[in-house]
Amino acid sequence: MTIISLMKQVPLPSEMRMGDDGLMDRTKAKSIINIDCQYGLEAGLQIKSEYPDAKLIVCSMGPPSFTTSLENALAMGYDEAYLLSDRKLGGSDTYATGLAISHMLKHLDFGKGKDEDYIIVAGRQTSDGDTAHVPSQVAEFMGIPQGTFIETAEFIDGRVHAKRIIEGGYQMMSLPLPCAMSFTPTGIDPRRSTLSGAVKARKAEIKIFSIDDVSLTTDFIGIGVPGEGGSPTIVSKVATIKSERAPAKMAEGHNEVELVESLLAQMKEGKNTLEVKEKKAKKAKKVDDTLRRIDFRNGASGILTWAEVVKGEISRPSLELLTPARDLANSLEDGTTVTTVIIGKNVGELAKELIAHGADEVIVIDDDRLEEYRILPFSEIFSQVIAEKNPEIALFAATTAGRELAPRIGVKRGSGVTADCTQLIIGEHKHRNKETKEQVIYAPILESRRPTYGESKLATIIGFVCPQISTARAGTFEVPVRDESKEGKITAFTPILDESEFATEIIETVIGEGGMQGLFEADVIIAGGRGTTSDGMQMVKELAEALKAQGINAEWAATRVMVDEGVSEYARQIGQTGKTVRPKVYIAVGISGAVQHIAGMKESETIIAINSNAKETIFANSDFGIVGEYQDIMPELIEKVKSGFTFGLEVK
Amino acid sequence: MSNCDVILTDVLIVGGGPAGLATAIELANSLKQKGEEKRIMLIEKGSSIGSHILSGAVIRPKVFKDLLTQEEFDGVPFDSKVSTDVTVKLNENGEIELPFHPPYMNNEGNYIASLAQVCRYLAELAEKKGVEIYTGFSVDDMLYNEDGKIVGVKTKDTGIDHNGKKLKNFQAGTVVEAGITILAEGTRGSLTKKVTERFTLDSGKNPQIYSLGVKEIWKVPEGNIEVGAVYHTFGYPLQDKSEFGGGFIYGLTDNRVALGLVVGLDYADPSFDTHAAMQIWKTHPYVSKFLDGGSLLEFGGKTLPEGGWNSIPKYYEDNLMIVGDSAGFLSTARLKGVHLAVRSGICAARTAMSAFEKGDTSKKTLSEYEERVKNSFIYKEMYPIRNMRAVMNDGMVLGGLKMGVQLVTGGTCLFVPKTIADADETQKLSDYKGVPFKERFAGKLEWDKKLTFDKVTGVYHSKAMHDEHQPIHLVINNKAQFQSSNIEEYGLTVAAACPAEVYELHIDRNSGDKSLRLHAENCVHCKTCDIKSPNGGITWTTPYGGDGPEYTNM
Repeated sequence: MTIISLMKQVPLPSEMRMGDDGLMDRTKAKSIINIDCQYGLEAGLQIKSEYPDAKLIVCSMGPPSFTTSLENALAMGYDEAYLLSDRKLGGSDTYATGLAISHMLKHLDFGKGKDEDYIIVAGRQTSDGDTAHVPSQVAEFMGIPQGTFIETAEFIDGRVHAKRIIEGGYQMMSLPLPCAMSFTPTGIDPRRSTLSGAVKARKAEIKIFSIDDVSLTTDFIGIGVPGEGGSPTIVSKVATIKSERAPAKMAEGHNEVELVESLLAQMKEGKNTLEVKEKKAKKAKKVDDTLRRIDFRNGASGILTWAEVVKGEISRPSLELLTPARDLANSLEDGTTVTTVIIGKNVGELAKELIAHGADEVIVIDDDRLEEYRILPFSEIFSQVIAEKNPEIALFAATTAGRELAPRIGVKRGSGVTADCTQLIIGEHKHRNKETKEQVIYAPILESRRPTYGESKLATIIGFVCPQISTARAGTFEVPVRDESKEGKITAFTPILDESEFATEIIETVIGEGGMQGLFEADVIIAGGRGTTSDGMQMVKELAEALKAQGINAEWAATRVMVDEGVSEYARQIGQTGKTVRPKVYIAVGISGAVQHIAGMKESETIIAINSNAKETIFANSDFGIVGEYQDIMPELIEKVKSGFTFGLEVK
Repeated sequence: MSNCDVILTDVLIVGGGPAGLATAIELANSLKQKGEEKRIMLIEKGSSIGSHILSGAVIRPKVFKDLLTQEEFDGVPFDSKVSTDVTVKLNENGEIELPFHPPYMNNEGNYIASLAQVCRYLAELAEKKGVEIYTGFSVDDMLYNEDGKIVGVKTKDTGIDHNGKKLKNFQAGTVVEAGITILAEGTRGSLTKKVTERFTLDSGKNPQIYSLGVKEIWKVPEGNIEVGAVYHTFGYPLQDKSEFGGGFIYGLTDNRVALGLVVGLDYADPSFDTHAAMQIWKTHPYVSKFLDGGSLLEFGGKTLPEGGWNSIPKYYEDNLMIVGDSAGFLSTARLKGVHLAVRSGICAARTAMSAFEKGDTSKKTLSEYEERVKNSFIYKEMYPIRNMRAVMNDGMVLGGLKMGVQLVTGGTCLFVPKTIADADETQKLSDYKGVPFKERFAGKLEWDKKLTFDKVTGVYHSKAMHDEHQPIHLVINNKAQFQSSNIEEYGLTVAAACPAEVYELHIDRNSGDKSLRLHAENCVHCKTCDIKSPNGGITWTTPYGGDGPEYTNM
């Protein structure tokens, strides 16, 4: 058996903050193996410890400087290292990357009809790309089952037993060989290499391939050129996101009762806003009528969305998706429809719900075997639906399922995918043909916008292959208003599914014990710092419990000091070396506001600080503040919550 | 030990600073000259060469000409040649620029440099010459044979939790068996400390004493400072007689300023805080004018061995030599050690070469290292000022006078105060009769986060990181005694002394009980705690390799 680890080199996270302009200087930045990929490497080494005869190889794609990280992987204990490095690969999107890597693997003699005794281990996503697409795409290009967002995996009796992290819990699954897995950075920590390993790695040869070596043509790789080829998607523009906070509104009062009352009143009023300097009105864009307009859709029409069913209900992010879907349909030709696909067991009833939320047509696939989401049959069903419906756009919620499903479908249809979008609009793209010098306009085109580089930039990504596929960040769009009177079509669809699509078994799904994944999903996070030691953060936890009792998705978290103190487990640590979160409301209790902590929570929508020292930095990073003692303020606040105050959040 | 991989090498150098790299280069050159092949390995705990290097630095270039070819020398990335050189006495409300330089303090012909950059360059040269350099590996054990002689080192085991339990990613360290081991760990080396104790290398010597330097690099508006300008300050905020030290401000290229305050750790006030003193020093108008409108780029701290010639232990044993700061080769009067570190490396390398030729690495041959040092400028520079640091405890006036006497007598002086280890100079809260630091600077200890910063912000700018899953690398040797003495009697001196807020005195709000809170992940590897904690309270050990600060240009 061979364990193949896919790995990317990225700039050191601590250096991603460098530069006054907020831009990373990659030429100077120190590089490391992407953190998630380190967990993938470790997972491979763990499987090897159970199966000592396995060979360990590590593969990467990138510039020759990536050999540094490949050498580190060898030092960790890998046997062989390969790098696909070619200037022609520059500008490749995730689809092209998946394609190129699969070519390298096939060149190394893995694949159908070749060596089929292998496991691919990779990282969940990279810190500089953040899409989580490539493992799915490689799996589809190789034609093998996959498990993404895996925390731990064991090799037992010829199959891999893996723990997959999903919203609010986890799933135990059993995968046959060959298969691909991507690992979250929550499993077994990557080992340090040993000196003896480093000495051995220094002497080892790292084989570098060009695209010719692996029989890869430039048709679908490199920078995408409309009408010609290259990657199916390109970055069309990048804008800087300014995220300065207006000064906090400070609660006023003579005692805790008045202070908390004041906070409530101020929250009702809303936060201070920054005075935005009026930019000079942009010159109205001249529509150049003289340019040739190209409709690259070739007859593709309509918006397709997926309604994910969790425990017999349509998941909220899937309903949210109907908002941009409707807006996009409205921006396109009259008669453009929104079609939603729902897959599951006895899901027919839910179709009406989707129509009430705006779908024009619902395609229902009812099959007992599809009660739980499974990547292989689901992606195959979508491929068949797309073949039949020929939509121009397909949208998925960026849930753990959506993020692996969309790229796998993309590969089946030759489309690129844009991950985790916060804006979806219809625009146009001006393109100048290099040879003929002719300028043409590609329109209408889907502009998918997503924050990137640690939320500092907003990138617009477009694709020239239909369907144009994007995943939308959960919580970004509102759920459309329910309209019972709305009419729509419900169509049953019977896909043709091969038994091999069910090769992966789901052993069990456990919700409610998802470790600390909940922190990423919580709407309210109450974090305690040094100032909350006196009762071991008891009141911080109580506030979280009180909010939960009100039906709010709340969690408690801690600063590093509290972790050092043993008051909180490391998994709850927010900050530079802990987790980065962006809940709707972040309540910082007894936290001074060290830069290291701010780095982990500054993207929260609303920040409320409670601290006894008015001079603490935390207040400069908050929207609302109370200066007061922890012991005095918290009981008052907990009481308010118990009597219905939910920090302005809607109870679901 | 049976589970450990074993690597054999002829020479192992522990530490990739100027001393270790000079040793490697000189030895590689000598071997090449003689047409011999030997394996030279250098291991460094920083994630890369330079990431744990911090120095002023104004460097005397001559020794690099001895080490390198002209072509190699021309490539040394010095930042700028010293242009202006001013010594100034600061008072609380004003300053007096001295019309002359104190003895040894003239910097004509010297260069301002980032020692990290210089080291990265030296490492490149060394690798080209065949030296194997491995970064990100720390060593915590010396290995001895059955005769008790040093035979190499072992790198740290990794994958162990806080409580010493092996985790799933456990990796046993690697045994490196070396013909000669050269310790170039820098100041207060943890292996050096072990071998010094084991072989009583310091017998008959003064204890080593140290200073702590807290340094920052700033980006400032054009015109704030001249490139190559060197200012040294003494006086404010330090108290004559009780605190020895001063500040430095260097003008770098690219509108950057390197500045810092260096304070002897032999002060008595258990609450003295060098980091805070440095922040207060920056608010003096003479200093702040250079920083006006600028922003902090980097922060760090490092200790310097300042005991001088009389505090240098025996720096060789069977199969062992100690070079650079680890041995204490530093000229307090010149405020410089880089050139001495490099020279000691050259001397050690030549001795190693001689040992190879004789086929004998015992101390009989390695004693040639001592002869070479005594015949070099190390002796010529350090011996005449051997009593200099000691007399400065008499204050600038009497000390300065005694210093003057030494200049005439070649270092001999009557009434030289006895040198006492820094930790033993610390007084208990109840014994200290001076005004405690916090009272002295009451009202000045608030940081505006523009010009002055708290320690944690400093740590952020040092980019220090430590794996959360490892045994705490700061070892409290005797918990009961630490509680009753270090905490109760001394008020946790190290909390004030540490420039990185590793130690915190926690007082329970309700019971008033005092306890230690340890934030080991903040550590910038300066070793102040190991030096200054009373009763030998704390031992600094190496954390996992690659952990610690990530200095770029310190």
